[in-house]
Amino acid sequence: LGTSIIALTFDGGVILGADSRTSTGNYIANRASDKITPLCDNVYTLRSGSASDTQAIAGYVQHFIAQHQAEEGDQVTVKTVANLVKMMAYNNKDFMQAGLIVAGFDKHGGGQVYSISLGGTVTATPFAMSGSGSTYINGFCDKYWRENMSEQDAMEFITRALRYAMTWDASSGGCIRTVTITAAGVKRQFIQGSQIPPTYGELPRQQVVA
Amino acid sequence: MSRGGSGYDRHITIFSPEGRLFQVEYAFKAVKTAGVTSIAVRGKDSVVFVTQKKVQDKLIDPSSVTRLFKITKYVGMLVTGLPADTRAIVQQARQQAADFRFKFGYEIPVDYLAKVLADKAQVYTQHAYMRPLGVVSMLIGIDEERGPQLFKVDPAGYYVGYKATAVGVKETEAHNFLEKKLKATPGLSYDEAVITAIGALQSVLSEEFKAADLEVGVVCDGPEGGDRAFRVLSTEDVDHFLTIISERD
Repeated sequence: LGTSIIALTFDGGVILGADSRTSTGNYIANRASDKITPLCDNVYTLRSGSASDTQAIAGYVQHFIAQHQAEEGDQVTVKTVANLVKMMAYNNKDFMQAGLIVAGFDKHGGGQVYSISLGGTVTATPFAMSGSGSTYINGFCDKYWRENMSEQDAMEFITRALRYAMTWDASSGGCIRTVTITAAGVKRQFIQGSQIPPTYGELPRQQVVA
Repeated sequence: MSRGGSGYDRHITIFSPEGRLFQVEYAFKAVKTAGVTSIAVRGKDSVVFVTQKKVQDKLIDPSSVTRLFKITKYVGMLVTGLPADTRAIVQQARQQAADFRFKFGYEIPVDYLAKVLADKAQVYTQHAYMRPLGVVSMLIGIDEERGPQLFKVDPAGYYVGYKATAVGVKETEAHNFLEKKLKATPGLSYDEAVITAIGALQSVLSEEFKAADLEVGVVCDGPEGGDRAFRVLSTEDVDHFLTIISERD
């Protein structure tokens, strides 16, 4: 997965955003992939790195968390899920290439984002991004990210950041998928490629005449 | 008839000369030592079960006492019998259901889970190293293909599907009540199913219940369904049904 994935907390929850391109070399194997995967009702993960490795990790974590959720009754905490993902990544570090961002909402800690990098390091931050596309938007995110944005501002920020990442990174593209998790539940949104406004310097679509 | 056998046929699960498995029979008796009765009723788009919440000791925190368990989001289990064996079988059920979902990619059907638990129970009736569990379990869920399902699993390793059933101290009286009721009105709605189950319990125990004395679990399809998920009714919901029953009488 050459990828652009971002997650951030806002006032009331978290938003996860991702592009939709899966490439093998120069061939785009899937131009509409869904890189935002549920691990349980209130915690989702963004996957970058090897698609098969991250799918396998997600599968195992879903399995264990489902049992934990049945036992606990209450909502599973984001930290618990992130811990399980970390264990999978750390214990199998020699065999995997997986960078995941685990984000969700629980009533004890509110919205939380945990980034789990290749070797199994966990970092809890209000904003996290990963994937090949994230390297192109360091400056943009540095300037425009603020803590505790409103849901609308956060959504605008994420879609704008992903838009830039997808423009500059060859391994990212397609459409923008987002998932918003709050106390009220989970909301999925989708912005088609053709609806993503062109970035500065790009010609607007109407003016490209053959 | 002379009494052959080595004399151990009461101690481990081997046949007596009359062809009985005493340990299994004793397990059934152990179920009744819980001193409660549980009833389950299947409607046309829902399944409900209800049991008495008996907390003997005033010092016990009632919120920590339960015999209803969520096995998966869609399968609920009501276990009657020895409390420690209850926890053991619930653990097994949850493990089996989770493994099934992980391996096959879809939610475990209720009848399959019942079969798995029943087969495990059967093993205990053959191996000398483990005793049978002193519990009878009722499993409910809405199957995608077959609709509402109610299954009962017992220490003998027997499992079968039911339209309605009962377990515990007053199970015979409850069965009679349920037979008459279901013969008169087959195809119950969700509300009717809950009222039948609670009504049956009240009738056979000759008791007027308060909401705190009961635990009710349901799975329901249809508009008020809640996407077929298993849920335990809140005290308010139970009160609502108890009021309907008392007003009707």
